[in-house]
Amino acid sequence: MTATLEALRDTPPGTARPRSGKRGRAGQRTRTFYLFVGPWIAGFVLLTIFPLAYAFWMSLTNTDGLSPNWSYVGLDNYVRVFQDQQTIASLGRTMVFMLATVPTGVAAGLAMAVLLNRDFRGRALFRALFYLPAVVPGVAAALTFKIIFDKNAGFANAAIGATGGEPISWLADPYVRMVLIFMILWGVGGSMIVSLAALQDVPRELLEAAKVDGAGPVYSFFRITLPLLSPIIFFQVVTGVIGSLQVFVPSLLLAPVNGAAAVTAVPEGNYFFMVHVYAEYFAKSHFGYASALLWVLFLFVLLITGVVFKIGNRAVFYGGVDPSERKD
Amino acid sequence: MTETIARRARVTALYICLIVLAVIFSGPLGWLILTSLKAPNELSVFPIQLLPSTPQWHNYIDAITFIDFLGYARNSLILATLSAVLTTISSAWMAYGFARLSAPGKKFWFGLLISTMMMPGIITLIPTYLMFAKMGLVDTYVPWILWGLSGAAYMIFLFRQFFSGMPKELEEAAILDGCGHVRIFWRIFIPQSWPVLAACMVLTFTAAWGDYIAPSLLLSSDRTTLAVAMTAGYVNEKGFPVQNLLAAGSTLFILPVLLMFLFFQRFFVQGFSTSGLK
Repeated sequence: MTATLEALRDTPPGTARPRSGKRGRAGQRTRTFYLFVGPWIAGFVLLTIFPLAYAFWMSLTNTDGLSPNWSYVGLDNYVRVFQDQQTIASLGRTMVFMLATVPTGVAAGLAMAVLLNRDFRGRALFRALFYLPAVVPGVAAALTFKIIFDKNAGFANAAIGATGGEPISWLADPYVRMVLIFMILWGVGGSMIVSLAALQDVPRELLEAAKVDGAGPVYSFFRITLPLLSPIIFFQVVTGVIGSLQVFVPSLLLAPVNGAAAVTAVPEGNYFFMVHVYAEYFAKSHFGYASALLWVLFLFVLLITGVVFKIGNRAVFYGGVDPSERKD
Repeated sequence: MTETIARRARVTALYICLIVLAVIFSGPLGWLILTSLKAPNELSVFPIQLLPSTPQWHNYIDAITFIDFLGYARNSLILATLSAVLTTISSAWMAYGFARLSAPGKKFWFGLLISTMMMPGIITLIPTYLMFAKMGLVDTYVPWILWGLSGAAYMIFLFRQFFSGMPKELEEAAILDGCGHVRIFWRIFIPQSWPVLAACMVLTFTAAWGDYIAPSLLLSSDRTTLAVAMTAGYVNEKGFPVQNLLAAGSTLFILPVLLMFLFFQRFFVQGFSTSGLK
């Protein structure tokens, strides 16, 4: 508290107060640093570490969140995780979802960025049109896709009907997973914008020099552009993997029932690991078991991220131009 | 001669690709808007009816009165503004520390900051909600104030990159003039960094405006945001969705985000490119 007050007095850091020697000045500097960074540290402890610890404590109990009668059950909940058919199945589905969306999303985003990375009329318009869906809130995207894929009034079935086909129940198994993947890939413009920004940082001299040496555009792309882009691609893969392992809000939003009951109505194809966690918490009030599931997912995400980094360290080229030395 | 033909073929191919993609990407929103203008009996007719015979503009008025649209919109606006302003200011504040000050432990905290950018955020949300429930903070905006005050790791990183690029002479001169770091931050760094401030505001505002899961966990049905109300509100007595009003409501819900995007597109892009993620 006194540290905060002193720092707030706003003493110029260079001018030592009369009594304080060298050590006092260093102490002052440290206090100022923590005055600035402190709120983040406090937030990290209160809003990340503490909830995780709280979940870990719950995972050792059989609490339902309300009843005062609970007891410690040791690691029983964790043993149950591995005996639960739903856990294994939903984890498998989540992995399939990750493999279906992350590589395609990053590759499609990159391809579109390459398409836009040249001068032509209407470039800004196309860039805006491709990027637009990425800024549409997930709720609105889900409602839009529900309308398009509605069994009776949707565009998809209308188009099928026009060619003489039978209408499809898009929002039920097995098609609903496809709708979810379409919806996720509709927002690929976010990845495109990131790749486009990186493409524009590729030094022109390098590409021109390669051209003078007789390199074709395909060769230049794979030998110059792609290696320079690999850090940003890697970043997208990492965030994509972490995000897709936690996917569950789109599943809720595409469920046939809305509101609190949505989680009990999620079709099997979209019943991902995090949906299972959510159902165990809020539909079944198995707070202890759900917390154990949450911790298993947390460790699993860390493990997969570690694996991705291990692979990435070999594939990523870090010899590019330091962005802090860029002149633009 | 052949060269110009080849070139023209390439340009044509490029435009065909672009137009096909443009149709695919704007199709869903186009269908949403068309649906929002249809009369109820035009919704599921065979064969497909693309355009409404007469645009039913009153659907938009009906959409606003069918649910307490303006009330929910006000809640969303308050929440998103609160969240954007607090997150932006506090992220800049903390970034100043990381960019311009040194102290023992700085490396550690910065490393931690970077790794929390990869923290699985959804995982902590449910226990955070349970914690807030135990503290009696459910159905208040306090959680968003706390989230705002502690900043967002990605935004702190963004500001830190920007501040690091500012010339050292700026603050050295200020320090000689007897100016402290708090004042240097407010008087020199904040006025200089409006592009990042704008990018951060726009990104956090739109994220909070569109967020579904946090308000659905933390707020009761009459205090909740438009995003949550949208998903449950537009149903008839039999529980079936009223598609045309739902579409009109969704269009209105997207509109502020769309407008912000059109006016500040530059900042969205800047947000990503100035970060120099490596």
